[in-house]
Amino acid sequence: MSIFTYANPQRFLRFVHYVLLPVLLIGAMLSAVGLYAAFALAPADYQQGETVRIMYIHVPAAWLSMACYGLMVLSSIGTLVWRHPLADVSARAMAPIGAAFTIICLVTGSLWGRPMWGTWWVWDARLTSVLVLFLIYCGILALWNAFEDPARAGRAAAVMTLVGAINLPIIKFSVDWWNTLHQSASVFRMGGPTIDKSMLWPLLLVAIGMTIVMIGLHLAAMRNEILARRLRTMRVMAASGEGHAH
Amino acid sequence: MLTDPHFGFIFAAYFIAALIFLGVSLWIWIGHRHVTRALDELEQAGLRRRSEREKE
Repeated sequence: MSIFTYANPQRFLRFVHYVLLPVLLIGAMLSAVGLYAAFALAPADYQQGETVRIMYIHVPAAWLSMACYGLMVLSSIGTLVWRHPLADVSARAMAPIGAAFTIICLVTGSLWGRPMWGTWWVWDARLTSVLVLFLIYCGILALWNAFEDPARAGRAAAVMTLVGAINLPIIKFSVDWWNTLHQSASVFRMGGPTIDKSMLWPLLLVAIGMTIVMIGLHLAAMRNEILARRLRTMRVMAASGEGHAH
Repeated sequence: MLTDPHFGFIFAAYFIAALIFLGVSLWIWIGHRHVTRALDELEQAGLRRRSEREKE
């Protein structure tokens, strides 16, 4: 199976029809079990106390805000290099979902920062680069809506997405490159996670569940985008008097 | 946990995250309903896509 197997939108829509509900249900179930473990089984932190519970939503949202952008980068390469028919559909569908995870990350981080750091916000490298990620998402969404023709919008947004990709390593390594109030990586780091196992497994379970839900939302949003383009074409046909069955 | 002095922050974090998440899900669901309804209306008006006309 190649990336062109589902290049046919009709085939892709049939695929989504069958897999969407199971994907969303599996993702929701894993997230629910993970959150149950995070609240009922994982201990409170010896320094943060109960406030550590915010981490179980903040950290997966942060990972997914970057993962969504990473997928948009791959889709943009698909648009510019291979002109894959579903590549810009994928990128456009992913942008609002990525923006949502980024705003969840920012808001929950702020709600954790107030009691732990004594401030809602600091302009340190990690927080600022994540805010920049959110602004890039907004810019890409605005660019998509600035063009009448989805193909032209797709190419312009793909270029902007690739330029914005420079922000991903900045977010990841900001805590190592600069002196930040935000703590350094404690899960994906050389030498393995420093977080205790009793907290790690619920965190990973929530992250896996939310990733599967994100995939489900992405498939659903792609389906909407394909149908919206079909609707646009049919409206153009109707306006030109073409397309009536004889 | 309910008696924790920071319970309000924990509750607010999950409540706002749930709201944003529900908002995105609802936006996708409403978008799907809207676009399928509009497509149905056009098809009922006798409009067919080129590929479907070729099949007929």
